[in-house]
Amino acid sequence: MITLHLNDEIIKSLSGPELEILKYAYEHTEDVLGMSIQQVAAGVAYSPTTVLRFCKKLGYSGFAEFKYVLRAQTREKDTPVSTRSGRAFTAGMMLDALSANLQATSKLIREEQLLQTFQYLESGCPIYLWSPGGLTSVAVEYFEKLLLSIGRQEVYLVESVKMFEQILKSLTQKPLLILISTSGKYPTTIRLGKLGRVNGIPILAISPYANNDVADSADISFRFFATQRENLGAEFTSRLPIFFVINMIIQCYLRWRGEGESDASTV
Amino acid sequence: MLPLFEKARGLRLTETETSILQWLEAHPAEAARMNLSALCAELYTSNATIVRFCQKLGLSGFNDFKYQLRRELQQSEASFFYADTYVDRAIARLEDTVASLDLRQLEEITELLTSGRPLYIYGTNLSALPARYLQIVLNSLDYPSILIEWRNLLNGLVSNMREDAILLVISAKGNAERYLQAFQEARKRGLTTILLTCSAESPLIPYGTIAVCTSDQREEFNNTDVNPRLGFFTVIQILIELAAEKKKPGGDTKKV
Repeated sequence: MITLHLNDEIIKSLSGPELEILKYAYEHTEDVLGMSIQQVAAGVAYSPTTVLRFCKKLGYSGFAEFKYVLRAQTREKDTPVSTRSGRAFTAGMMLDALSANLQATSKLIREEQLLQTFQYLESGCPIYLWSPGGLTSVAVEYFEKLLLSIGRQEVYLVESVKMFEQILKSLTQKPLLILISTSGKYPTTIRLGKLGRVNGIPILAISPYANNDVADSADISFRFFATQRENLGAEFTSRLPIFFVINMIIQCYLRWRGEGESDASTV
Repeated sequence: MLPLFEKARGLRLTETETSILQWLEAHPAEAARMNLSALCAELYTSNATIVRFCQKLGLSGFNDFKYQLRRELQQSEASFFYADTYVDRAIARLEDTVASLDLRQLEEITELLTSGRPLYIYGTNLSALPARYLQIVLNSLDYPSILIEWRNLLNGLVSNMREDAILLVISAKGNAERYLQAFQEARKRGLTTILLTCSAESPLIPYGTIAVCTSDQREEFNNTDVNPRLGFFTVIQILIELAAEKKKPGGDTKKV
């Protein structure tokens, strides 16, 4: 797997098609190395100009330099691709997709974001987590419980919008607001983000890689890759990448504080 | 100082090259992102001068220089806090977890979960979260199930469940003895039990119909369980994917 140096500014600047190209490059690194710009463009069904613009936004002079960096990275890492030949075809593909999403998500975690987050965790300011209900609320509660478990005080999970608005209006101390959104499009979460922003409250968001309003309102924006899915309107997009991001924040925080150093093997 | 710059300082540089080096040393992160023409504009110098400077360093050109610079920047960051390394390692471990899972066994479990038989999912404390996650998704996929988060309720229910019932228990903790009674009772009554644990020595394993063991490690902070259970979530996600796949031919599972 490769590491591209992407900060949130760059991610924000990428359009929908450009994000698709990024995902494609993460998932097909080996193939992209042997491809021309036209072939990549065909692979993602966008024009070569879009691919070129994508490379430039990432800070490269063009496609050749992008490939050069990719190649250098792969040569260096040279991680063997796990073989799953003994397994059923579809199940193997499913597992590959699952780990591709996780790997790509892991590449979006930037050290600056983690360090910024740690400042808030250290500061002792109140932390409010918005729980929107449904599947995402499981991830929110996961974050809440882990924060409390590692000894962080003043962590509050709020499930009612009205109560949340009330809290935002009557604050005496500046808190950190945590918003998690699987689609980045849930109106209530977006509204709370805007409300927080208007009141000058710092926001940590975990939202999808595509441009979205929740991420736009955030001071610290963690992103993840996932394929949106639903069954007759009941949405069941995988939250695994979100759990992964939360886990990384917590585990890295413990390491950063120098606790649990003896057992760096726990994941 | 970065080794690249150290090396440059040891070389005989022209006046222009010295000023290039000074600028690069002051703005390493920026330089690692710039293209050649932007750098030329910044330094009021020509492409050729910069390329020559890079070649003096034994590199093929500016791209090579940038690549080297990025790598060294990354390494220097790594020396005080190694987030990248740590995240990479976490991913590697997760991959290992996935690779070590018995897919056939998971398919067998999926068959049970989607069989239409009464299904109970149990998890308490931090394990309540993977339990709830599975329960909500199964509901979304039209496979209803009952979530139990209280241990006393579990004990009571086990004695009264229908005989074709399936009980899935998620338990990470070492002191699994507290579920022994429930498992013994379930076995006596001939219920199907699925155990998801991360302790290969769990005393419950012999009583379970199927047992899945992940490599999540026990981790405590001030005597509080902070095992992140990512292995559990991974197993559950795979079960979900398998169930969703089963749903596909007749159902309306679509990729958006």
